[in-house]
Amino acid sequence: MTFRLLSPLGITFLTLATLAMIYLLAPIAVVVVSPLGDTGYLAFPPQGFTLRWYAAAFDDGRYLTAFFLSLRLAALTAIISSVLGICAAYAITRYKFPGARALESLFLSPLILPTLVMAVALTAYFSRSGMPTGTWRLVAAHSIVCIPYVIRIVLPLLQRFDRSLEEAALSLGATPIGSFFLVLVPVIRPALVSGAAMAFITSFDEVVLALFLSVPGQTTLPVMIYSSVQLGFEPLVAAVAGLLVCLTGIIMVLFHFFGLRTRG
Amino acid sequence: MTTAAPVLNENPSRGRSTSLVVVLLLAPCVLLYAIFFVWPQIALLMLGFRAPDGSFTLDLYTKFLTDGYYLRLLWRTMVMGVATTAITILFGVPLAYLLARMRSRWALFLLVMTTFPLLVSAVVRSFGWMVLLYRNGFVSDLMQWLYLTDAPTQLMYTLPGTIIALAQVLLPIMVLSLYAVFRSISPDLELAAMSLGASPAVALWLVTMKLAKGGLFSGSLLVFSMAISSFATPSLVGGPRAAVMATSIHDLTMTVLDWNFAAVQATILLVTVLILAVIYGRLLNGSAAAR
Repeated sequence: MTFRLLSPLGITFLTLATLAMIYLLAPIAVVVVSPLGDTGYLAFPPQGFTLRWYAAAFDDGRYLTAFFLSLRLAALTAIISSVLGICAAYAITRYKFPGARALESLFLSPLILPTLVMAVALTAYFSRSGMPTGTWRLVAAHSIVCIPYVIRIVLPLLQRFDRSLEEAALSLGATPIGSFFLVLVPVIRPALVSGAAMAFITSFDEVVLALFLSVPGQTTLPVMIYSSVQLGFEPLVAAVAGLLVCLTGIIMVLFHFFGLRTRG
Repeated sequence: MTTAAPVLNENPSRGRSTSLVVVLLLAPCVLLYAIFFVWPQIALLMLGFRAPDGSFTLDLYTKFLTDGYYLRLLWRTMVMGVATTAITILFGVPLAYLLARMRSRWALFLLVMTTFPLLVSAVVRSFGWMVLLYRNGFVSDLMQWLYLTDAPTQLMYTLPGTIIALAQVLLPIMVLSLYAVFRSISPDLELAAMSLGASPAVALWLVTMKLAKGGLFSGSLLVFSMAISSFATPSLVGGPRAAVMATSIHDLTMTVLDWNFAAVQATILLVTVLILAVIYGRLLNGSAAAR
């Protein structure tokens, strides 16, 4: 810091930064704290203390079903986008073929496309194409959103990867597939893990595509929260949302420690 | 399986098995994109130009760009984008600067706390804002307590309320863009300016903010294009009374079922975002070339 924190400039910066932190965390804190209130309606700051709503959230079958649907969807999306993303990134970096750059741009282009535009396009498209309905539509759409994340994280690592390591494995008798798993995969594993985690979280949290493409009776958890919130502020919805925040926090902390350990 | 040579063939004249491997590796991705991305997007673009009898028409675009209601919709969307970007700059610059220059072990913790909201679904964060912004809610009470207003204020279902919530949703993105830029600017430059007689504020303004201008601009483009195309927050906090293009597109697609007109609005949104993305790309290339 080139200026002292107690100078006028420092105080301005410190105040604004503190306000920014409060601003960032306030709505999340509200969601976690307000269902603890012992009133029949949602209030912040909460009055009284009860764990009734959090307990009810665990018991509610509708939210539980939606949670497991979201979990399955996110897991499938993470697996598909990781596998397809790695294959595409590997082909682009390892082999020289015409149009490689164009393909790379195509694969990354969903990054700039608003999911809303994609959702409208797919809604109109699916209704005319006569393809069977089902959650697979959402898996396909989410995979297209997530593949660019995987490719963008993995591509620089593959470009820097020392190919002589692979050649050494091959000359020592490994098969091409064997050398892929024995040499390349361990090197890119951290990128692979963060790419897959990114895909998982994006798919789990995503609401626009899920809202447009969801099949009646099979709604994901964010869509469920979205619909309930529009109808009114039930403490139960807040408890579900609060649990989601806590779960995200726990996963982030675990990932942080886990990530640090693999690096060290 | 020991005939591994073709796979690692260095020269561009590829063997048959090599090209087969490339095709096999790329085929799943290309197919997925062709069926669920490229073709639906092309179909959407065409949808906006199609008259009910199937002929080519510009009527829907004329309708959007001449009707007062839709022009107000476009105006509100742009106001929302600009105001959201301005708030993220106001809070993002000091926060990112302090985080980038802090030399304590808390810096990492605070950076993680800044990015944590990104991992929480926008629906959940908007819900938190609904509770805060509701009439007689916490923000209303706070404003009365600070003597900013006399009566309870309803910020829910208004454009200002939407902007407050949306700026919070997008603030981490601004902070992350600026953090990277501030980290790359050496504090020594400010010290040098100060040793030549500049006050800390002048040094900050003339040296660091000048150098960070590119990052600030690209962060703003990013936040702006995400603001005008985001749906969950305007829909929950703004609702029908503060309708913007994103909510209008949703209603047209899901309730009114007028896909042609939805396609027109989606295309206008998409073209705006694409233009901003091209400027953003130019900017990144420019700053990379300057270094």
